[in-house]
Amino acid sequence: MAERRLENIAVVFAWLSALLVPALLAVVTGFLLLRGWPSLKVALWFGDTPPLAALLYGAPVFDGIWPACQGTLYLIALVALMAIPLGVASGIFLAEYASGRSKRLFSFCVELLAGIPSILMGLFGFALILFLRRTLAPEANTCLLLSAFCLMLLVLPYLISSTRLAIESLPDALRLTGASLGLSHWQVIRRILLAASAPGIFSGVILAIGRAAEDTAVILMTGVVANAGTPGSLSAKYEALPFHIYYLAAEYQSPAELAQAFASALVLLCLTGLLLLAARRLQARLEIK
Amino acid sequence: MKAAIRVDKLSVSFTGKPVIRSLSLEIASGGPTFLVGRSGSGKTTLLRALNRLNECLPGCATGGQVELRLGEQWVDAYAATTSIENLRRRVGMLFQSPNVLPLSILRNIEMPLKVALSLPADEAEARAEQALREVHLWEEVKDRLSQAASTLSGGQQQRLCLARTLALRPEILLLDEPTASLDFKAAQRIEDLLVELKSRYTLLVVSHSLGQARRIAESLFVLHDGERIEALSRDVFQDRDALFSVMDELI
Repeated sequence: MAERRLENIAVVFAWLSALLVPALLAVVTGFLLLRGWPSLKVALWFGDTPPLAALLYGAPVFDGIWPACQGTLYLIALVALMAIPLGVASGIFLAEYASGRSKRLFSFCVELLAGIPSILMGLFGFALILFLRRTLAPEANTCLLLSAFCLMLLVLPYLISSTRLAIESLPDALRLTGASLGLSHWQVIRRILLAASAPGIFSGVILAIGRAAEDTAVILMTGVVANAGTPGSLSAKYEALPFHIYYLAAEYQSPAELAQAFASALVLLCLTGLLLLAARRLQARLEIK
Repeated sequence: MKAAIRVDKLSVSFTGKPVIRSLSLEIASGGPTFLVGRSGSGKTTLLRALNRLNECLPGCATGGQVELRLGEQWVDAYAATTSIENLRRRVGMLFQSPNVLPLSILRNIEMPLKVALSLPADEAEARAEQALREVHLWEEVKDRLSQAASTLSGGQQQRLCLARTLALRPEILLLDEPTASLDFKAAQRIEDLLVELKSRYTLLVVSHSLGQARRIAESLFVLHDGERIEALSRDVFQDRDALFSVMDELI
C-alpha cells in the first residue's frame, strides 16, 4: 500500500517537474514579449540610419542593435568554425581510438576544461593578449578572433562529451556490420557511426551554439565594446547582443532604454531559436540520406 | 565435395577467457553447412573467426590457422599479407538481428559498394537492384528506395541485409542465426533464399533450430563448449528421432 502511494507521488512529481519546464519558458518568453514588444520597431535595429542603406551599403548604424546582431552572428560562426571540427574530432578520438591510460588522461582534461568558469576563460584571453603584446605581437589587442578563441575553449567540452557519448552509446552491432561489409575502421566511423550518432552530436552543437551566443563574461574581457559598429576584420573590436543587453540594463538612463534592453533580449532569443531550428532541420535532413 | 574452409587448432579468447580451444574442422563448399550447439558453446565466435570479425571486439586474441578457398586459391585468413577488408568482403556475414544502417534503403546497399569497392554510382545502383531482386525484395521496395531502411518490417530488413552482403559478391556466406528474430513467414522466406543461394555460395549457418537444419542442411556439425566438434552424418540429422536422441547425448 505504502509502495503504491510512493509510486503515485513519484508519478505526480515527475508530471509536475515535466510541466514546470515549458511553464517557466512560457513565463520568461511572455515577460520578455510584454516588456520588449513595444520597442521592437525598425528604429531599434537601425536607429536613424535608413535600413536599406545599412543592409545594402553598410552605412554605419549608431543607435540600433544591427551591429550587435552582426557581431553576435560573426562570433557564433567563428566559434562554430573552430569548435565543431575540433570537438567532434576529439570526441571521435576518445570514443574510438583512445584506450587505457591515455583515455583516462584525455577524459580528465576535458572534465577539467568543462569545470572552468567563463570569467576565467575571459581572463585567460586577456592575459594571452598581454603576453603577446610583450613578446611576439606588440600590436595585438583584444578583438573578435580572441573572443571566438576563448569561447571555443568554453564550448569545446560540450562538443567533445556529446560526440563521445553519442558514439559510445551505439550498439557494437553497427561496428561489426560496417566491418563485415569490408569497410575500414575509419570508413565505419565516417559512414556509419557518425551518421547514427548525428542526433547526439547535434545536441552538443546546439548546446555549444546557445552557449556561445549568450555568454557575456568571456567577451567582456576579450574585445566586445558598446559602440564599435560592424566589425571590419577579425582583429577589430565588435558589438554583441548579450553585452548590449547587459550594458543597457546596467546603465540605462530612461525607461525607454530599459525597454530597448528587453527588446534586444527578445531578438537574441529569436536569433538563437532560429539557429537551433536551422540545426535541427539540418540534422533531420542528414539522418535519412 | 571440395573443401572451402579449413580450420586448424583454432583458439579464440576474450580478455584472457578462452571461448574456443584448439578446434579443427573442414567445411565443404556449397552447403548449407549447419553449426549447432548450446548457447555459449562458441558458435558465433567460430563464425566470426573465419572473417576475423572477432578482432573488432575488445581484448580478442586468436591463435591457430584458418584457410579459406577464395577463387581457386587458398587464403590464410590470419597471414600478415592478407587484407582484412578484402577478406571480409569475400566472406560475407548476416547477423542474427537485421542490422540495417541508419541510411535509406538504397544507400544501405550502395554505400558499401561505393566506399569499399569504389564503384561508380551507376554500377552501384545496378548492383543494388540486382541484389534486391536476388532476395525477392525489389518489387516490395522499388517505389520507396529513398525511405529510411528502418521503415521496413523485420523480415524485409533481414532480406535487405542479405542483399547488401550479396551485392559485394562474396564467395562464402556466414549466417549467424539469420531467422532467430523473425516470425514464421519471414523465417520461411529466408530459408527458401538459402536453398536458392546454396548453388552459388558456400553457406555456413549457425542455428538453434534443429527443424531448420533437418530441412535444408547438407551437412551438420555440433559444437561443444568451444572445444569439441562432431560431424553428424546425413542419415542421422535427417531423421527427426535419431537427431534428437544424438543431440541429447552430445549436448
